[in-house]
Amino acid sequence: MRVAGFRDRTAVAGVGYTRFSKNSGVSTLTLACEAILAALEDAGLTADDVDGLATHRVGDSAAPSVVGPALGVHRPSWHLDQFGGGSVSHAVIGQAALAVAAGVAETVVCYRAINARSEFRMGGTGRGLPVSPEVQYQAPYGYVAPPQQYAMFARAHMAKYGTKEEHFGQLAVRQRASAAKNPRALMRTPITLDDYLASRWIAEPFRLLDCCLETDGACALVITTAERARDLRRPPVLISAAAWGGGDSFLSGGPSDVTTTAAAELAPRLYRQAGIGPAEIDVAEVYDCFTYSVVVQLEDYGFCAKGEGGPYAASGEGVPVNTHGGFLSEGYVHGVNHVAEAVSQLRGDAGDRQVDGAEVALSTAQPGYILPATSALVLRKG
Amino acid sequence: MSAEATRRIRPVTDRDSAAWWERVRAGELTVQRCDSCGTRRFPARAYCHRCRTAGWSWEAVEPAGRIESWIVSHQPFLPGVREPYVVVMVRPAGAPECVMYGNWRGAEPPHTGQRAEAVFVRVDDELTLIDWRPAD
Ligand SMILES: [Zn+2]
Repeated sequence: MRVAGFRDRTAVAGVGYTRFSKNSGVSTLTLACEAILAALEDAGLTADDVDGLATHRVGDSAAPSVVGPALGVHRPSWHLDQFGGGSVSHAVIGQAALAVAAGVAETVVCYRAINARSEFRMGGTGRGLPVSPEVQYQAPYGYVAPPQQYAMFARAHMAKYGTKEEHFGQLAVRQRASAAKNPRALMRTPITLDDYLASRWIAEPFRLLDCCLETDGACALVITTAERARDLRRPPVLISAAAWGGGDSFLSGGPSDVTTTAAAELAPRLYRQAGIGPAEIDVAEVYDCFTYSVVVQLEDYGFCAKGEGGPYAASGEGVPVNTHGGFLSEGYVHGVNHVAEAVSQLRGDAGDRQVDGAEVALSTAQPGYILPATSALVLRKG
Repeated sequence: MSAEATRRIRPVTDRDSAAWWERVRAGELTVQRCDSCGTRRFPARAYCHRCRTAGWSWEAVEPAGRIESWIVSHQPFLPGVREPYVVVMVRPAGAPECVMYGNWRGAEPPHTGQRAEAVFVRVDDELTLIDWRPAD
């Protein structure tokens, strides 16, 4: 890809949410439509303007081929029904931006609608196992769920670098404090480190408060050209870079170092595409399926040295992270609510949780521990 | 912590892996070794990820390894399993570039880097699984 040809050519022009809850009481189709209509309203557009739809899902939600017609979008010129979990969340938005930059579509809605608590539990409890050749070597030993997988990698990081459970705990405490300033957040009651340490084990070294919420809800974004976004209702937020990348897997000879993720491979390309480095990032919305996923990504995206992610995340003195409370406390909409929060910060409308003068934001996907892939965006105030 | 308690999910083998599981049933821990470049690989599949050729042979490796990491699972992810259990991630001594999993059969929790040996656990006539225990 000719990097200079893509940078800042597309924009996020609208953001929409449903209420986050533990039981939406409605279908994922309804959630998707509600979030998309809200995002279009935010942008000052209607469904008549939409010519592209995109989502990622794992067989748990309404497809673009269903959502489009349900909103009267009968002949989209582009759509993407991406199989996958959090690792592809930002790739979907990046691909929508590519489609817009290439002129294949002009107005794409990217959405994620899930009943991840009331219908299809994202945490792994009571749902079917994913389709992967690796599962047969893990499931017979009761190794079946993302919290277990991330706990395994977190333990390796603790052993190699001295990362402590208190580091994870301080991060959880600070994200909850951010959520307290976020009217959308599901969990707004402040917690202490003692609360963290007293929360029950899920998979040692993870406690309940290391784990993201399982949430019902939807979030949608409107992607269009930067030029057109300037004429719409809200201040445009430019897509400066969108990158996706791979890492080690079972099938590539095995992970040589389980304390480094696919993000370490992706980050230099992402920053090169955006023409910046981590020092220019004003706010980072970092995929926090678990506390540890933030710790390792703060290292792999270059905010601190390898091995220092624990103390860095615990201190709260570096780049502002997960200003909405993240998946740990706002809710879990599989990556899209991280991008939406980054947009809010760059518009300057994040209220009590606004990072002063935020002009450049990083938003990241699941860093590639479960499937060997990840994706990320750099966004810039338009 | 009962290792048997987790034995609720039978591995769904595929056309690439069935022969590997057969060898486990016969009490043998194997990986594939590329006939062309010698690279060892696991899980089983047709092509070498390094030289992209398809010729390979089974290579029996010492049923021993080192603990790369481990967890104690508490949340009842499996229906009916309430007791905590330990899952270990192991690098086999004869193929440390590969990782394998199993339940831990030790009186004490494992530690990272600990030497371990494989325990072949016959579940029934069709299925044998591999656990790990502390090496002497
Ligand atoms: Zn080879």
